[in-house]
Amino acid sequence: MFNALEVLQPTILEQSLSQLWDRISPLYSVDEEQWLAELLKLAEPTDAQLKASTDAATHLIDQVRADGESMSMIDSLLLEYSLDTKEGILLMCLAEALMRVPDKETADAFIKDRLSVADWASHANNSDSFFVNASTWGLLLTGKVVSMDETKDGKPANLVNRMVNRMSEPVIRKAMNQAMKIMGHQFVLGRSINEALSRGKSYRDKGYTYSFDMLGEAALTAQDADKYLTSYMQAIESVGQDTYSKGYRPTISIKLSALHPRYEVGCEERVMTELFESVKELINKARSLNVGITIDAEEADRLELSLHLFEKLFRDDCTKGWDLFGLVVQAYSKRCLPVLNWLAALAKDVGDRIPLRLVKGAYWDSEIKLCQQRGLSGYPVYTRKEATDVSYLACAQFLLSRHAREWIFPQFASHNAHTIATIATIAENLGATTNEYEFQRLHGMGDALYNRLIKDKDVCVRIYAPVGSHKDLLPYLVRRLLENGANSSFVHRLVDARCPVSELVDHPVTTLKSRKTLRNPFINLPKDMFKDRKNSFGPNIEIEAEWKPFKASVDAFMGQSTQWTAMPIVGGENVSTTDVHAVNSPYDHALVAGQVHWANKEIVHQAIEQADAAYPAWSQTPANDRAACLVRMAELMEENYAELVALCHREAGKTIQDCIDEVREAVDFCHYYAQQARQNFAAPKTFTDFLGNTQQVQMTGRGVFACISPWNFPLAIFTGQVAAALVAGNSVVCKAAEQTSLIAFRAVQMLHEAGIPKDVLHFLPGNGATVGAPMTEHKAIAGLAFTGSTGTAQLINRTLANRGVAPVPVIAETGGQNAMLIDSTSLPEQVVRDAVRSAFASAGQRCSALRVMFVQADIADRVIPMIAGAMKEQSVGLPYLHSTDVGPVIDEKAQKMLLDHIEVMKKEGRLIAQSALPEWAEKGTYVAPTAFEISSIDQLKDEKFGPIMHVVRYKAKDLDKVIDTINNSGFGLTMGVHSRNETTCAHIAQRARVGNLYINRDQVGAVVGVQPFGGQGLSGTGPKAGGPHYLPRFAKEQLV
Amino acid sequence: MTIVKPIQIEVANQVFEAWDHLGVAGRAECLEQAVFSLSHAQASMARWQIENAKHEIGEDLLMPGPTGESNTLSTHGRGAFLVAVQSSLSGDNLSVGLIGQVFAALIAGNPIITVGPEGQAIMDQMSKYVPEGIIQNVAESAQDSILDATDLAGVAIICDADRAKHLNKQLAQKSGLLCQLVEETNVQALTTIAAPHYILRFVTEQTVSNNTTAIGGNATLLELGSKAE
Repeated sequence: MFNALEVLQPTILEQSLSQLWDRISPLYSVDEEQWLAELLKLAEPTDAQLKASTDAATHLIDQVRADGESMSMIDSLLLEYSLDTKEGILLMCLAEALMRVPDKETADAFIKDRLSVADWASHANNSDSFFVNASTWGLLLTGKVVSMDETKDGKPANLVNRMVNRMSEPVIRKAMNQAMKIMGHQFVLGRSINEALSRGKSYRDKGYTYSFDMLGEAALTAQDADKYLTSYMQAIESVGQDTYSKGYRPTISIKLSALHPRYEVGCEERVMTELFESVKELINKARSLNVGITIDAEEADRLELSLHLFEKLFRDDCTKGWDLFGLVVQAYSKRCLPVLNWLAALAKDVGDRIPLRLVKGAYWDSEIKLCQQRGLSGYPVYTRKEATDVSYLACAQFLLSRHAREWIFPQFASHNAHTIATIATIAENLGATTNEYEFQRLHGMGDALYNRLIKDKDVCVRIYAPVGSHKDLLPYLVRRLLENGANSSFVHRLVDARCPVSELVDHPVTTLKSRKTLRNPFINLPKDMFKDRKNSFGPNIEIEAEWKPFKASVDAFMGQSTQWTAMPIVGGENVSTTDVHAVNSPYDHALVAGQVHWANKEIVHQAIEQADAAYPAWSQTPANDRAACLVRMAELMEENYAELVALCHREAGKTIQDCIDEVREAVDFCHYYAQQARQNFAAPKTFTDFLGNTQQVQMTGRGVFACISPWNFPLAIFTGQVAAALVAGNSVVCKAAEQTSLIAFRAVQMLHEAGIPKDVLHFLPGNGATVGAPMTEHKAIAGLAFTGSTGTAQLINRTLANRGVAPVPVIAETGGQNAMLIDSTSLPEQVVRDAVRSAFASAGQRCSALRVMFVQADIADRVIPMIAGAMKEQSVGLPYLHSTDVGPVIDEKAQKMLLDHIEVMKKEGRLIAQSALPEWAEKGTYVAPTAFEISSIDQLKDEKFGPIMHVVRYKAKDLDKVIDTINNSGFGLTMGVHSRNETTCAHIAQRARVGNLYINRDQVGAVVGVQPFGGQGLSGTGPKAGGPHYLPRFAKEQLV
Repeated sequence: MTIVKPIQIEVANQVFEAWDHLGVAGRAECLEQAVFSLSHAQASMARWQIENAKHEIGEDLLMPGPTGESNTLSTHGRGAFLVAVQSSLSGDNLSVGLIGQVFAALIAGNPIITVGPEGQAIMDQMSKYVPEGIIQNVAESAQDSILDATDLAGVAIICDADRAKHLNKQLAQKSGLLCQLVEETNVQALTTIAAPHYILRFVTEQTVSNNTTAIGGNATLLELGSKAE
């Protein structure tokens, strides 16, 4: 970690660009305490500076309050509907979705859902703003009518009330849509640039200028990217022709994710060519009209990629000597300061100045959540608001320093009076004149503050103004606003006369230093997310500092010189046989990963007998000791991460992120079952029996458990079953799928190394006939855990039942016919992203994968072409490449079954789209992601385990019939729901007979101990793997 | 194999959803009334099953996870259960055991089909306290047709070891879902029926993962981000 104070020395820019670059990535998730301690040195004001900035901020706030200028627009809305109130959130939810709902029925139901739970009356007439009152009255009227409809127990109220409701629905809908239009009008400066220019004139008369943005959702298809490119071109054209002559010229801000459907690290090649060309086209146009361009900042994973692209553009002739090509950097990012250093050095190197907007950052919520989901090393953002403010001021110290401002034109975006006053103070201290920097604010926010500032100081203030149709922009803006709650709090307190000015002018350095810890103790690191167990770790492959060493470690196992040999392990001994099978890589059958010696009946029986003999001692081993072996196993898997990932690539054809998720799941199973065993198996539990006697019951093992696992999660499911059986006190004989025995062999070796006695756990590779049958015929088998097809489960169950011994537990996890239901309140971009991931990730070879998507007819013509467009962007390829989305299917048998189904569907359904295969695809077993439109789920007889999605249109009124047909399929594994209507979501959740239901997200990737996984009916027996009821099924309850 | 769907299974499937939706608390309200019609020993068992269910599966479990999404684990009935006692058995505890099975299956959310005169007696005592169709009874001669039905979710039976083996084999021959056999072979002590985890044999689980609050506006995080200790 570098010394932050160093950036104040002009020598910082004498370092090589590569040296400065190398400082960026390692700070991605750097220890927050350490790094903030560095930044504090930079941001800490002297006593005199502190006094100056406090005085300036106090003065500014006093003046703003004295101005008595009524707040406009969004400020006042946020003041009345603060985002920490239920009404505030509900209003925003409505604004996010209502305008896109095309059908009356869904719109009415949605309005009712949102409005019936809030207290709108308390907001009536609280605000001076017409806009707020108009919304409130609309809401109040609606809320009252709606609340009359149902009594508390959900039963319909009397007829009169229902009549009122019915009569009013069109009126209410109209009022609400009107309210949303008013909101759209306030959030969005104009529906076109010309309208925006015209509406912005009054502000420009006051001295403001603009940066316009055609904001909206990210493009998921090439068509959408083209559409955005065209609208940016038109915007540049219009601004270029603008004849307003006073003050600073407006600029255009562009969002890269809108200009390319795959603006992501894995697609760097495409970004550096295709996206590069698109932006260059915009730059050429903009330069010819002298309209500046700023590239917006997006998610943390894209930061390094955005800088690569920026550098390429900045070094290109198209920007040489221009000085108006800039970008945005987020101060909440831990990498912000070194990024600024590198950019200043880049500008110096090229010889052109970079206009640079410093923002605090608007994706904070999702950054935090994503890191937790992915088990990353830490957070890329600060976990306290005041830490972001400190970072902001530290970065300002650098940006305003003489050596930096020679190469960077800083643009400070903030709505916080203290930040603004402090920036001005820092600028004065460092001798920066008011034409060497500018301020920026959002359209509709911070008016009162900046109106005062612009009167007092001769400084440029630029308004960042969204332009475009309200329907497209409002959802996006509202989401950003909701995520970036920091904006609302200051505004709220600024105008609240009860809030003493002194509270508003606390220096963030003072606030942060007053905390016990610099990092936020309420937001645990991803590894500490669970109270009673460790979370598994995953490297972030989007970040150079994590990706490069990870890739190098995996590459060490990827050469053909690395070969694995698996064979039966009985009593800890490797038993070679003559029945040897080569393991070919599914992506290229000419490549060999190793060899497997299959077991035979004799070896199987020998293993079972040893396991049977070892059972009593193992079941007597304290549960805490058994659990300790699992914890050690988890550690060993993380120590051998690279080898396991390479095995998943070479043996199972899994993509990089799938491999990481695979190891993580296996690790999580171990930690979770260990924790469950410590909690429930370590000591007897006391209960009162039905006769009123106090009893003690102890959970103990049952004997020899047989574990039979599939190839699609060759490490996770294998390890999960075995670990559960072992920790519950059983001895285990296990058979992995014949396609993926190499990784299972390594797992068993590691389990032995972790302390599982060698006579307790035995590994028996082979197929159903050589191993499965002799295993399940054996009378000593006391229980079975199986994951695989429904048919095989029935077969195995029959074999076990025919042994003439007492029934044993059969825990079967089988197939599914998984559906996703999408109504018209859902956001198409989110739906398409989640549907594509759910159906095609892992080449659709997940039990949970989406097979049938039900889309409400009213939006089908928008959603289906988007799916087709997004499928065109899917990259089918070598699984070990970062650019690959979809790898091969497991083997020829699977491939043939899927290709046959595609042929049948071509006749019986309508082909929506099929992704392209690489030219060399026949080297392996590839199946192109394919989607068909069909008329009913009944057209599908059984599960097709691969990348094939079916789409069915449904009418909103038929939702219950749809649920019935899904239930009637007999399967019940996963279901996805996309709807903003919580009543609809709850209704579906209640009626759908599925094991795992996912609302407003994808439907794959259940996390152990978070989303216990398993189905009902034909999809499995339960209990759920990774859930609290799993271990008891592997055990007996014995009175002690 | 021919698909057999006796009328009792169809009726059970029709009433299943509403019964399941009552939740443990709602079903307990019904079943607690029925307890009063039982003998003292039976009533002890019935009450214990209800209380045990409240303890084991009464509340949905809120699972820990990333901030901003909610993950809830709930249990539901599995579907139609055949509840029976092997007719050749005798013993004082049989009727208590049968009541244990009936109450465990019902409180877990399943409709049940009882068998023979013992079953008829239970149905007569209890049917007025539960919705129509939740308890049905068949003659012993009709038992096999129920056992052979493809969507019978499970069988709870008090029987001897041989009968258990035989039944297990019979159920395994069927196509369709794996029908659960919940057998009690200790007629005297009822060690299976009277154990705390017995109830888990009658349920299926559902996880609901709701990400709605994380679509922007994660109020929990908003609060945590500016929270002072």
